Amino acid sequence: MDTKKIMDCERERLNKVTNFRLPHTFWTIGMIVTGLSIVTMFIRAFAMEGDTEWLRELAKKGLLVGMLLMSISKDKEEDELTIKLRMQSYAFAFVVGVAYALVMPYVEFGVSNVVNSGGEAFKNLGDFQVLSFMLLVQLMSFHTLKRYR
Amino acid sequence: MQNTIKVERAILSLTQDDLAQKIGVSRQTINSIEANRYVPSTVLALKLSELFNKPVNDFFKLSDDD
Repeated sequence: MDTKKIMDCERERLNKVTNFRLPHTFWTIGMIVTGLSIVTMFIRAFAMEGDTEWLRELAKKGLLVGMLLMSISKDKEEDELTIKLRMQSYAFAFVVGVAYALVMPYVEFGVSNVVNSGGEAFKNLGDFQVLSFMLLVQLMSFHTLKRYR
Repeated sequence: MQNTIKVERAILSLTQDDLAQKIGVSRQTINSIEANRYVPSTVLALKLSELFNKPVNDFFKLSDDD
């Protein structure tokens, strides 16, 4: 296989991966998984006792998987405009997510020191906080862009 | 980019929904194109050209800021 053929093959494969979307049914599945995860988080926080850390972790993973399913599912009427709007929403979510990850630890540090009158240690954001924020921004901005198209 | 899709659509007595179904997009996409909020791809422009039986240049024009 010559170099040109390898390049074409790689380009095709990359296009296939980047253009991959799940059928619209997965949006509903994602919505259910997200909803169940949120409900589980509330139940664990207010109605359960004992060591339920595993349930908390499970609900967090469930929330991320659910939102990811919603994010990569096709729209009911998927066309070139919705594809463009989705790309815009991903770009926006990425930039806002990075800014959030950079700024938010300082805001939390400042606020917690004011509220607890000093002594709070500086800590970076966790992966769950950043990822859930990015997915939330993507889903919301995509929805808003679609509404104003 | 300016266009006269609305006029061409009226000539054929098509609603936005009819046109959308004929070229395989959503009604909102037709609405966005007509309102000059969205510039369609070449594929979509050629589909419209085939439907209106006119060259693309007849209903898409470059504006001064393009």
